[in-house]
Amino acid sequence: MKFRTASVLVTALAASLALTACGGGREGTTDDGASQMASGSAAAAEGFAPDATIGVALPWLGTQNWKEAEVMFTEQLTEAGFSPLVQAADNKVPQQQQQIEAMIEQGAKAIVVGPVDGTQLGSVLDKAADAGVAVIGYDRLIENTDAVDAIVQFGSVRTGELQGQSLLDGLEASGEGPYNIELFGGGPADPNAPNFFTGAMSVLQPKIDDGTLVVVSGQTDFTQVATQDWDNSKAQARMDSLLSGFYADKQIDGVLSPNDGIARAILTSSEQAGQDLPIVTGLDAENESIVSIAAGEQYSTVAKPTQDLVAKTVELIQALQKGEDLPAADETADNGVKEVDVYALSPVVVTLDNAAEVFADDPDRLALLEG
Amino acid sequence: MKTIKQIFGGNLQQYTMVLALALLAIIFNVVSDGRMLTSSNIQNLISGNAYVLILAIGMVMVIVIGQIDLSVGSVAGFVGMVVAITCTNYGWPWWLGLLTGLATGALIGAWHGFWLAKIGIPGFITTLAGMMIFRGLVIWISKSISVPVPDQFQVLGAGYLPEWGPAWTGMNNSTLLLGILAGGWFVASQLRHRSHALARGVESPLWVALVRIALILAVVGYVTWLFGSGRPGTSFPIPGLILVALVVIYHVITQRTRFGRHIYAVGGNKAAAALSGVNTARTYFLVMLNMSFLAAVAGILFVGRATAAGPSDGTMWELDAIAAVFIGGAAVSGGIGTVVGSMVGGLVMAVLNSGLMLMGVGADQTQVIKGLVLLAAVAFDVYNKQQGRPSILGHLMRSFGRDATSTKAADREPQESVEVPAATGPVVDAADTMPETVEAARRES
Amino acid sequence: MTETQVLLEMRHITKEFPGVRALDDVTMTVRRGDIHAICGENGAGKSTLMKVLSGVYPHGTYSGEIVLEGEEMRFTGINSSQDRGVVIIHQELALIPELSITENIFLGTEVMRGGLIDWEAARHRAIDLLARVGLDLDPNTPVKTLGVGQQQLVEIAKALSKDVKILILDEPTSALNEDDSAHLLDLMRGLKARGITQIMISHKLNEIAAVSDAVTVIRDGHTVETYDVVAGQVDEDRIIRAMVGRSIENRYPIRDPHIGDVLFTVRDWNVEHPSIPGRLVVDDANFEVRRGEVVGFAGLMGAGRTELARSLFGRSYGTWLSGQMELDGKRVVAPTVAKAIRQGIAYVTEDRKSLGLNLIDTIKSTIVSANLDAIVRRGLLDPRQETAVAERYRTDLRIKAPTVDIGVATLSGGNQQKVVLAKWMYPQPKVLILDEPTRGIDVGAKYEIYKLIHQLADEGKGVIVISSELPELLGICDRIYTICEGRITGELAASDADQETLMRRMTTTSTTASATHGA
Repeated sequence: MKFRTASVLVTALAASLALTACGGGREGTTDDGASQMASGSAAAAEGFAPDATIGVALPWLGTQNWKEAEVMFTEQLTEAGFSPLVQAADNKVPQQQQQIEAMIEQGAKAIVVGPVDGTQLGSVLDKAADAGVAVIGYDRLIENTDAVDAIVQFGSVRTGELQGQSLLDGLEASGEGPYNIELFGGGPADPNAPNFFTGAMSVLQPKIDDGTLVVVSGQTDFTQVATQDWDNSKAQARMDSLLSGFYADKQIDGVLSPNDGIARAILTSSEQAGQDLPIVTGLDAENESIVSIAAGEQYSTVAKPTQDLVAKTVELIQALQKGEDLPAADETADNGVKEVDVYALSPVVVTLDNAAEVFADDPDRLALLEG
Repeated sequence: MKTIKQIFGGNLQQYTMVLALALLAIIFNVVSDGRMLTSSNIQNLISGNAYVLILAIGMVMVIVIGQIDLSVGSVAGFVGMVVAITCTNYGWPWWLGLLTGLATGALIGAWHGFWLAKIGIPGFITTLAGMMIFRGLVIWISKSISVPVPDQFQVLGAGYLPEWGPAWTGMNNSTLLLGILAGGWFVASQLRHRSHALARGVESPLWVALVRIALILAVVGYVTWLFGSGRPGTSFPIPGLILVALVVIYHVITQRTRFGRHIYAVGGNKAAAALSGVNTARTYFLVMLNMSFLAAVAGILFVGRATAAGPSDGTMWELDAIAAVFIGGAAVSGGIGTVVGSMVGGLVMAVLNSGLMLMGVGADQTQVIKGLVLLAAVAFDVYNKQQGRPSILGHLMRSFGRDATSTKAADREPQESVEVPAATGPVVDAADTMPETVEAARRES
Repeated sequence: MTETQVLLEMRHITKEFPGVRALDDVTMTVRRGDIHAICGENGAGKSTLMKVLSGVYPHGTYSGEIVLEGEEMRFTGINSSQDRGVVIIHQELALIPELSITENIFLGTEVMRGGLIDWEAARHRAIDLLARVGLDLDPNTPVKTLGVGQQQLVEIAKALSKDVKILILDEPTSALNEDDSAHLLDLMRGLKARGITQIMISHKLNEIAAVSDAVTVIRDGHTVETYDVVAGQVDEDRIIRAMVGRSIENRYPIRDPHIGDVLFTVRDWNVEHPSIPGRLVVDDANFEVRRGEVVGFAGLMGAGRTELARSLFGRSYGTWLSGQMELDGKRVVAPTVAKAIRQGIAYVTEDRKSLGLNLIDTIKSTIVSANLDAIVRRGLLDPRQETAVAERYRTDLRIKAPTVDIGVATLSGGNQQKVVLAKWMYPQPKVLILDEPTRGIDVGAKYEIYKLIHQLADEGKGVIVISSELPELLGICDRIYTICEGRITGELAASDADQETLMRRMTTTSTTASATHGA
């Protein structure tokens, strides 16, 4: 048992020290957490120290956009003079709840929250409000609480509309209709996924009704087309069975894909089934998909430039720091408790035609296009 | 050293995991500039981990009977969603939703118990199926949309005890009262223990009892102060209170009732238990039923804290609960493990999690560290038992495969030499440390 | 003895475990072609010595030297000792039940051709080996379908496949019935004739007398003495004296029985095999036990003794078909073990380790485990009561353990058996069924168990003793039933019976033998 004690401690410390040595992040947080907590909720009105700790709680780092957000928040908040505290929650709600609590504990003056599930942070964000911490929702709506000051996001229904329109454009450019298409949705546990689908269907449904588009499998409900956990392999398996079940003697012309990973899975499946590559949409402008678009395989993706979103968020934080009023919001959204100010940014459709233009300021992606 | 031994009751080893926990908390406190041991952080730690610890209570019983329950996360998520839907969508009163949730949990437990106990499908498979079934059902009934729950649940999942009485105490008086009750009870049980020892003619110096009481009061006092002196309106959290109540109840059930004995008997040797008159099928059934019931409690507390039930609630919770149980000293092969030990195991994980977050370590690295700690805790436990500690070794090794010859070889001879006086010392110390820990906890409590 | 005769010498072997010196300066010499018996009480260090010899405890973990054919051996493990022709067969068989005989024999020494296993060649060699041990079986037979005796022979065949010089058998007959034991002893003589030296650990003095050429007695980790056995004769008392360090005048306690009226009656009891419908494992059994009486059940292994006992004990074996039990003149129905215990029936299993004990449990919780109701106070188990009960039995039964809080796994076989007996005495049963109560325990402990059995009878209980050792039954019982193929074939007063009569009735049913072999 003595060994066990020693082992637990040694492992925990060795591992944490080793990992934090490269992680860094804690330095410069000189505020005394406890005393700050008692100072009430005046932070937003009175502003706070220009080198204050700013917490950023991201859902996970499993996709490129979130990883980019992590890097950009760290860089830009540091540049703006703040002490950033950026953490990701491995897509687990309880983990994120605890991270936000830890940020409050560390005296953060504002916390940017990219929620795993926007409805499940109520009591935690109440604590933030009690401690006078400003809360900015990032990329997703935060619901069921009045403890949220603003939301910065790309409209998810809008994103879906763009995806639907892009699919339609791609099909029309490829030749005469009617077109055989299939639909894919995102993870049913992600509140954005149904929104994407709703947006896309608002464009596609009229064309399905008038016969321009034919969903050969007949699967047009979100629950039928959803992809559990956004898992690419599950999407690929579904595509395989669709192709073998419905397209033995048909050509598939287009597929609505909710993101880039699933788009690539669909393309792989079609290729293996001996189909000509269909028009496939995407989302997130992941590197691999940029390459794929450059090679003429994937038709389009929707870029939600993380850069824009982060820049907007940092801008809001700076306003809060100075104690200024926030700039006028683009719209408001009902989060179940109150009307929240939403700063809505518009995503951009990327196809082979406009890719170079869209990524003009993004040397990494530009290199991919050329390579 | 002898003095210390007298104070802690002769066997210091039983406290090592608790000691590890305390040291971990202190070290993190130093490294994080005193942010670890603050009222709000400790309150958060308890509210934020109550659901895992509650699952671990049920899980340790499942693991002791030699089974495993992979469905607890899905069941907790499902029950949370049932509660949210009945209350919010159907407009049932919150208490009816709560009862419906608990009943649903028990019903699911009966379903698992039926397949395991009556049909004989191994628990691993029964609950793997349950994990899929109930995860699917959550998504199905919720249509992947999170559903808010009434405010009353927030009290259960994240609430605090009321504020009352004089302000000069400088802390939350409900917490103070709890602390006084706990301290009084510890002291009373110490005195009772001493009087029984004296009655049996065991030497028990007064100063030992006094030092013990002083130590206990110091610890209880510190904990009370820690929980009670937070921001006004905060106290020992309500989910923590529910957890403590459940720990006490289940500690008594497992250690002091016939049913509890049957659990250990079935897990240690099912055939021997059956031949001692234990209804093994009934034991399996009840343990599985209880597990899902506790999963329901955990799920309800969680939706209370989250203020809404989400379609992915409970994902991977089973693994957190299982890790807590094994760090707490349970054996993979069954028969060994305690509720109190599992709580300590769960708290080690929770403190680690919290401390690393305060240090700004990301979820990715935290996972790596937690994995290493799990491995280290169990590996050194196994290693420890191999060092001339034959009694449990053979049992543990049996579960790892057929390497029976060599391990049994190491076993047999020294086992038989209890007559040799020199052997008694180590043999006694080795005798299954976990029951010792419980023994200690009971004495202490 | 001349140098050429000596095959193996073990010199000054000392082996320590943490806190225990299991072997202390043990020296032993084995001649080529002998069967050399090693005897001693459980825990004396016999098995440890053989594990040192066979490399289970590798060189460096003990002090002293092993000299084989004049050359010092430094075995690093079982494989290195096998390479030099030293092969050990452990007491617990090490065969893999799901694999066939061939697969088991060549496990680890597979017959290879071109990188693959040559099963055809392996099978042919297996058939030869099986013939050498007198087994006429298809080598493809899965080992799990074989009886214990046959499995023992397969183990020997496996050993023979390895070009063995010294074959070590650790209590080879402990799990075998009389027939299989006799066959095994024959086989050992046959192997000796072919020049294979054998070392046999045994408790059984008659076996030592029957086959061995020399005996080494070990006590408490020391060699007590080594001497040659004069053809077929052995001074049992001398060995016992050497083993226990004292002389045992009488191996069975003397008792003056006080037998009362009929306590327990079984009528027309029929039980079917649990998985083979139509096969009766108990065929129309009728018997009775009186107050204060010790009743023996003599039968070969598989005759239905254990099956009968377990079917009486809450129908815990087989499918009960018909029959009645009466206890104290009242009809008793006990379809579950819990009910049987409540009615006053107790059963102590023959298989202590896998059916009798939870090896990770402590002495005290084992003792109270069959009667938890008795230590319940206000709905909760009372730990003080539990300790008190356990302490009482520890004292009364002279269980050698420092406290009742230690694990049962740390006890010797004899003390474990006492704990099990205490467990079944505590519910205060009216009838106690003891199935092989002295199996695997040493001479001294046996005597204490016998005294305990008599004490229980003298308290007015009915005691049923099932045993394979006829002298034991004759020594301690008042009356003996014989059982063969599921039928009770005879009833004799112990004073009238002798081993021959019993054996005759144990091997023949009065009617023409049917095909009913007990499982």
